[in-house]
Amino acid sequence: MNRNDEKREQQINALLDGELGEADTDELKSAAGDDRELARKIVEAYQLQQLMDDIGVEPAPASLTKRLNAIPRQHKPAAKFSLLQPRWVMALAAVPLAIIAVSLMQPDTPSASEVARARQDLAVAFAYLDKAGQFTSREINSTVGNTMSDAVAGSVIRNMKSQYKNSKEKEA
Amino acid sequence: MKTSIFKTLLTGVLCTLISMPLLAQEDELKDLEGFIDFGDLSAAYGEPSISINIGGTLLQFVGLMSGESNPETAEMMAQLKGVRVFGYPIDDDPSVARQKFSEVKSNLKSKGWEPVVQVNEDDEQVLIYMKMSGSAMEGMTVMTVDDEEVMFINIIGKLDPRKLGDMMDNFDVDIDGALELD
Repeated sequence: MNRNDEKREQQINALLDGELGEADTDELKSAAGDDRELARKIVEAYQLQQLMDDIGVEPAPASLTKRLNAIPRQHKPAAKFSLLQPRWVMALAAVPLAIIAVSLMQPDTPSASEVARARQDLAVAFAYLDKAGQFTSREINSTVGNTMSDAVAGSVIRNMKSQYKNSKEKEA
Repeated sequence: MKTSIFKTLLTGVLCTLISMPLLAQEDELKDLEGFIDFGDLSAAYGEPSISINIGGTLLQFVGLMSGESNPETAEMMAQLKGVRVFGYPIDDDPSVARQKFSEVKSNLKSKGWEPVVQVNEDDEQVLIYMKMSGSAMEGMTVMTVDDEEVMFINIIGKLDPRKLGDMMDNFDVDIDGALELD
């Protein structure tokens, strides 16, 4: 294909697309009148364009459309937020379970029998404390005598009282 | 595959969440300043003759029940965070108990507890320690051992010794079967 042929082909394409200028169109028509081969090419190009326009687009079968849609795209579009997505469905389903688990972590309200048992246990615990205190006082008494015992035991009690009083004052 | 991994993870997380309350209750007192670990003497003395472990929730309810009849007791109960008592019959063999005393004493000293009373007799030993945080009382530990029984008492929180008797009277509980006072 020489330069002239290339130029004529570009002119024919432009003519079919309606983009060829008026002067070029007249020049091409004039040339086609003198050149039967050029005229034939123009006619064939028209006919080919007409055939292309007449061809309708056949709808693809549903099965093919389904398969094509199933092919993952090279670049996934950004996922749209939807609560119907499986991960969100599972997350939402986990919420009530998490609430139940958290509620189980909260301290249970004790029953009346549990509180009554706790009262008895506390009484026993404090009785043991009292027993230790009695023994301590008795030992101090027998070791240092009544007079000193009062002083020593008093000192111990005063020390405990003082520390408790200080803690109370600190809180206030 | 991804769904399977997600389910496995979800199951694991939920199992952990559900088991946490039990662990939390057990550890409720362990994190407090006034808590002392006495260990376990079951290997030497068998099952404990007494085992009391009362946490803050129960103490609050006991205090609430005492509130109307005795506000002072209720106030005192509100200061307590936990009460623990463990006792073992020792059958004339206090050696293991005394060894445990030494271990607990070292532990108490290392944690800044102050000795209030120490009585060392041949047949009986009493140790009373207090834990202070600044001027605030965090706890009291009492350990006693004689020829028959070793006892560990751990009071977590504040306890006014002056009101101990009043509190016992307020409980109005028959403890003769559980304890023989000298």
